[in-house]
Amino acid sequence: MGNKKVPETVSRRDVLRLAGTAAAFCASFGFLHGSQVGGVVQDKHTQEHKAPGMRWEQAEIRWYSGNTLLHSSAIPAKVMKHLQSDVNATVEVKLFRSGQLLRNLGTIEAKH
Amino acid sequence: MAGPHEILGMSRELGITTTEFLALYADNGGTTLRFGADGRCVFVTTAGCKVHPRRPLVCRLYPLGRATDGTGEERFAIFPPQPDCGAETGSAGTVESFLESQGVGPYLEWSRRYGMLYRRMLGLLDRIGVEGKVEAPAIDGPADGRVDRHPVESAPLSSWQDIDASLADYCAAKGIAVPSRIEESIDLHLRAMQEWLDGLEAQIEAVPADPEEAKKP
Repeated sequence: MGNKKVPETVSRRDVLRLAGTAAAFCASFGFLHGSQVGGVVQDKHTQEHKAPGMRWEQAEIRWYSGNTLLHSSAIPAKVMKHLQSDVNATVEVKLFRSGQLLRNLGTIEAKH
Repeated sequence: MAGPHEILGMSRELGITTTEFLALYADNGGTTLRFGADGRCVFVTTAGCKVHPRRPLVCRLYPLGRATDGTGEERFAIFPPQPDCGAETGSAGTVESFLESQGVGPYLEWSRRYGMLYRRMLGLLDRIGVEGKVEAPAIDGPADGRVDRHPVESAPLSSWQDIDASLADYCAAKGIAVPSRIEESIDLHLRAMQEWLDGLEAQIEAVPADPEEAKKP
């Protein structure tokens, strides 16, 4: 039996092409892991055109039950002003009882 | 956002090749349409969209946005109206009737088929990464013009985004005629990519987990 030619690696060229194509499809279709999005990029561009330097102009607090939207309200003006003042501005939402921290619900960042 | 099949459609509408389209009208590695200095899509004119009959899915959906989760369930949302958008809008009708009126059916199907290839690519990349079968970077790699090299913003991330060039190569190798109809070209492009992934998969399967072990007699 002669020596069987065994490939030792997948070529860098093939891997680059595979990675490049996956990246291109991810961006051009809006594919994430197992999902698709339509319209987000277009909306981002138009928002940027409307308000250069600040990508958002309205913030809401929304109440959900599961996936059902129950109610929404604009966030307090002071918080809005703070978030719009600086792309690095953050707001934390925390639950307290008798002055004792029970839970940190998370941080809202001005940039997105 | 613009997939290769959408770039093909718009190219045909303009009477140019996808290679020319990517060079003239695409940005971000060939994944988005170019915007002018005024922030508008380059195809938007006072007379309307220059590629409207072959406009991409994202334009057909607007003002709706669409998302699907891992199970394939799809959701739609309405984007806030843009003050400078001249499109007619209203709240009458259903999402289904709107989608039908915009001719999104084939585009969703193409997106689904390209999505299957995308998931397969992720699986292959995962296998390559996990199993450590990637060769070390070459100092002087080949530069034959068809290799996907480090992208610059205006150059396509992948040669597969250029359907005309991809099919020219594929058809020449197979000794078959390049299709003229858009739908046939997209079908063949999907098939060519499928075969490419088949070949890569076979190659990855053929590579032993331990190359040194495989060299032993």
